[in-house]
Amino acid sequence: MATATASRPKQDLTVEEKVKQLREAFRNAPEMARVALENALPTLKSLVMEAQSEQTESAGRIGVRLGKVSELTVIAPFAAGGAERLRTVLQLLNGNFSAGKKVGTLHDMRFVFLDNDTRFLFATAFDGEWDPYIDDFATQMPDEMDVIFSAFEGWPGIHNPKVKDWIVKHQIPADGWYVAHPDLSVAQTGRLKRIGKAVDEFLDKLNA
Amino acid sequence: MATATANRPKQNLTVDQKLQVLRELYADAPEIGKAALKNGLTTLTEELAAPGRAQTAGRIGARQGKVSELTVFLPFVKGGAKRLRGLLELLEGNFRAADAVGTVHDMRFVFVDNDTKLLFATAYDGDFDPYIEDFASKIPNAMDLWLCNFEGYPGMRNAKAAADWIANHQIAAEAWYVNSPNLTAPETRRLEKVGKAVEGLLDQIG
Repeated sequence: MATATASRPKQDLTVEEKVKQLREAFRNAPEMARVALENALPTLKSLVMEAQSEQTESAGRIGVRLGKVSELTVIAPFAAGGAERLRTVLQLLNGNFSAGKKVGTLHDMRFVFLDNDTRFLFATAFDGEWDPYIDDFATQMPDEMDVIFSAFEGWPGIHNPKVKDWIVKHQIPADGWYVAHPDLSVAQTGRLKRIGKAVDEFLDKLNA
Repeated sequence: MATATANRPKQNLTVDQKLQVLRELYADAPEIGKAALKNGLTTLTEELAAPGRAQTAGRIGARQGKVSELTVFLPFVKGGAKRLRGLLELLEGNFRAADAVGTVHDMRFVFVDNDTKLLFATAYDGDFDPYIEDFASKIPNAMDLWLCNFEGYPGMRNAKAAADWIANHQIAAEAWYVNSPNLTAPETRRLEKVGKAVEGLLDQIG
């Protein structure tokens, strides 16, 4: 299942060398792709230059980070009866995961049922490093975690020392990870929302 | 592959009825799950009682507030995985072309099932169809460059067919959580400017 992230030795090449490599890689591509490459080259060159200043890094133990925001992507098999249990829990909650607020580093998360309910995908965006993030879930919402994740085969329990090994085993690091605002942590976004509100109120007063 | 999102008839139950459904459902769960249900009952009751927030992103996908999710599994053509990996490596994993679209929050590219498929998952503002139209009108080349590596991709110049093709490979999330559901990407950019201006102002005063 897991596909390791390819190493990234190409970071030291010049932009021209990179473009050359790209042309090589697309030599046997369908006609549409080669045309797209030529059309996209001017933009692509500037993107490659930008990428050199804003490149993805590791999120710690596993996964990719851009700026302050990291990704975690897990695909794992359901335990017997697990898909039905999880679907019912999720339907009853109807998308209301207010427990997620307790983990102050959580940007977003999705639960997707795959392959006729035999596997599931869990994908999340979060701040910073992998280990503290998992620790946060374990301390802030252990029961919610076990209610949900006990639907999966071999879930050892959030308090079990083996829980991180279970996650790592099923996690697949992304090869590409884009974040529109890589420097905004959840906490900073919250701060900006408060500043925005205060400024609006201030302007209202001025205009009153 | 695709699993349709089940309809959500359980929304009309009372909280007590919902709790009852949960207890029955977890009667044969692993011990960990049973214990967690018991321990977490207080929080769960609050969540069950709160009004539901899940909405749809139009044609397909879940939305919370203003932010939607799109999750697709795309089958690679022969050689497609190698090309896309090479492209992503050169971009150092960071697809800044999406800045031009303006409604994207995040996107991930994950190679799965021994490089036979790609999982592409994104968070974005608003509804499915306008989102795809935005990509088609603003960055068609960048889109063709990575999507040409998949079976049956019709090309972004054929925007309607491309949107159908994406929807056909999409699997709607059963649940979708966003920390700031009312914050669009443009609103975030505006707030960033406001924040900077306020800091500048305070510096001047100080």
